[in-house]
Amino acid sequence: MSIQTYTAQSLPSDDNINAYSFCVDVNGEYFTQRGKMIAYYGQLKFEALTAGSVSSLIASAFSAPLYAHDFIVVTGHGKLILGDRGFDINSYTLQDGNLTVRAPNLLAFDPALALKQSIIPGFLTLLGTGRFLASSNGPVHFIEPPVRVDPQAVVGWSDCPSPCHHYDAAYMKGVIGAAQAFMGLGPSSGEEHQFDFTGAGTVLMQSSETVRESEALVREMESQLGLLGTPSLEHLQDQIQQRLGQQR
Amino acid sequence: MATFELDGSRLLKVRIDGETFKALNGSMVAYDGDVSFKRQGIGGQGGVKGAFKRKLTGESLTLMDVSGTGVVYIANMAMEINLVQLAGERIWVEASNLVALEAKLKTDQKFNGLRGATTGQGLFTTTVHGQGTVALLSDGPAIGLEVDQGTPLNVDPQAYVAHKGQLQQNFVTDVTWRTAIGQSSGESFQLRFQGQGTVYIQPAERDAGIDV
Amino acid sequence: MPSYSEINSKLVEVAVNAGEQVLARRGAMLAYTGDVRFKPTVTAGSGVGGFVGRVVRGENIPMMICEGRGKVLYGALGLHVTHVALSNDQLTVEADKLLCYDGTLQAGTVFLGDKGGFKAVVAGQMTGQGLFTTQLSGSGNAVMLSHGPVFVLDVDGQSKVAVDPQAYVGHTGAIDIKLGASVGWREAVGRGSGEAFQLKLSGSGQVFVQASEERL
Repeated sequence: MSIQTYTAQSLPSDDNINAYSFCVDVNGEYFTQRGKMIAYYGQLKFEALTAGSVSSLIASAFSAPLYAHDFIVVTGHGKLILGDRGFDINSYTLQDGNLTVRAPNLLAFDPALALKQSIIPGFLTLLGTGRFLASSNGPVHFIEPPVRVDPQAVVGWSDCPSPCHHYDAAYMKGVIGAAQAFMGLGPSSGEEHQFDFTGAGTVLMQSSETVRESEALVREMESQLGLLGTPSLEHLQDQIQQRLGQQR
Repeated sequence: MATFELDGSRLLKVRIDGETFKALNGSMVAYDGDVSFKRQGIGGQGGVKGAFKRKLTGESLTLMDVSGTGVVYIANMAMEINLVQLAGERIWVEASNLVALEAKLKTDQKFNGLRGATTGQGLFTTTVHGQGTVALLSDGPAIGLEVDQGTPLNVDPQAYVAHKGQLQQNFVTDVTWRTAIGQSSGESFQLRFQGQGTVYIQPAERDAGIDV
Repeated sequence: MPSYSEINSKLVEVAVNAGEQVLARRGAMLAYTGDVRFKPTVTAGSGVGGFVGRVVRGENIPMMICEGRGKVLYGALGLHVTHVALSNDQLTVEADKLLCYDGTLQAGTVFLGDKGGFKAVVAGQMTGQGLFTTQLSGSGNAVMLSHGPVFVLDVDGQSKVAVDPQAYVGHTGAIDIKLGASVGWREAVGRGSGEAFQLKLSGSGQVFVQASEERL
């Protein structure tokens, strides 16, 4: 039989089953992203973060209201198997450290860690001491700054400052219709725009992902609409119309 | 006898010598020899009644007969292929996870109890029984999970691939599970298995794979 | 010549030196360090749909020349990368499955389908894909893309190898490809086995095939 088979007892405890799945030994409370549970043994309960029965200590560690909707609390005793779109899953340990990761790629984390929203839209920052799980499109590759990375290939970074946007002006001059592409009206690729990392730390990258509709990103943008006046809103509406018109 | 062999984890190599085997329609990626392909239509297994039953049950399994002499390479969407040997027993498989089987094995559609309208997978599951090899697909390497008396297993229907043994399958519409489901996943229920047997799962939600 | 190394199954790192050039599909550059510059260019070839979504039949493929001194990481959309080193050789790759290659190689376009007289059919809905291939010749490195890893089939005088056009990635050596079709009335009305069109290979060399019918 070529299929690796396990019993509830023989499943790895808090470890990968294979590159694309992970088994968590749940004993108490644990945060995971919605919809990433593949199977479980035992008695587990899944609750939304806003539920009354979730202890206030847990809720306070989660300081990312925009993403509260994407995470749930798992309580009880059992073996929980997690998987994410066939992506590679890795477990990371922070020791009084920090790691900023692309929100949809954060699968699960220890309630001991604090979770905050990064300045960079679509990313979450984990702080403190504890373990967490992150997924990536193919194996993660670690690289040290200074480095420029295609935004779709960034999984996260640790210790170094948040990246800056880098627009390759020299490249833009040569592109047919450079003005259009620069304004972001065409699909941009890593050659025109990258995240620029400097300082001491580590950048985690992957083979690029198709930018999936990230609900959280949409919510992030929506939350900022309140800051705009009518002329700006009308301008945005035009932009959106143009973009939609360009979609094939 | 057609020999099934894996070449790496995503490719099935079938050697035939004037024989036939069945494979998922369109899953041939290459072959070396004199081989022909015929879709199982009205002339497929079960005759007219079989074809009609497949249509009625909404199962999306479409097999083709592969015959001739040579080596045939079978694959599907770079998914992992897993071989299961059947020794007279029956295996229940999600139709979209079946890629090839020996001709002497029999396939059937069995009523599986009521499922929500959201699944789009119909009320039936495909079963394969007899003596021989079945090749299953999985999005990521498949994982086998044993179930025995006292240790029931709960599975996300999108990750379910197959099962065998003396298992009772229930649909659990657990309110807390519904909380756990992401927007993209269509299932608002879990599959709970009790009894004695093995359940095979894949580490990805069906229809939610990597967009290429 | 730039040095190539497969970092993992989906990422390849190319170390470029002054005076060298690497050509790549737009969107293939994922990260770089050092003093590297990118210049857009177009090839004289054509591609069909897929890839970055901007290539339409008849248009030129937007490419990018990379020059300077540094390291560049290439990859795309979680697809598998396979590095091929050519030494006064020829590599034919399906246009949409070529990630990057050395500027020292000569690139040209070949359309499969002319020989079999099936050009009109291929261009239409039936196969769902054209068979434009890029031919690279000379000495240098190239990286192919595929959905899942490629496997290699040896072709020689004895073999009767046929490949599903959508699974075909490329080939090296002296191989002759003919588009064969067993188009009967069943295939024509969509009731066929889905294996109607096949690439029939003869000659001597190696064929790279992916374990998927997915167009890139």
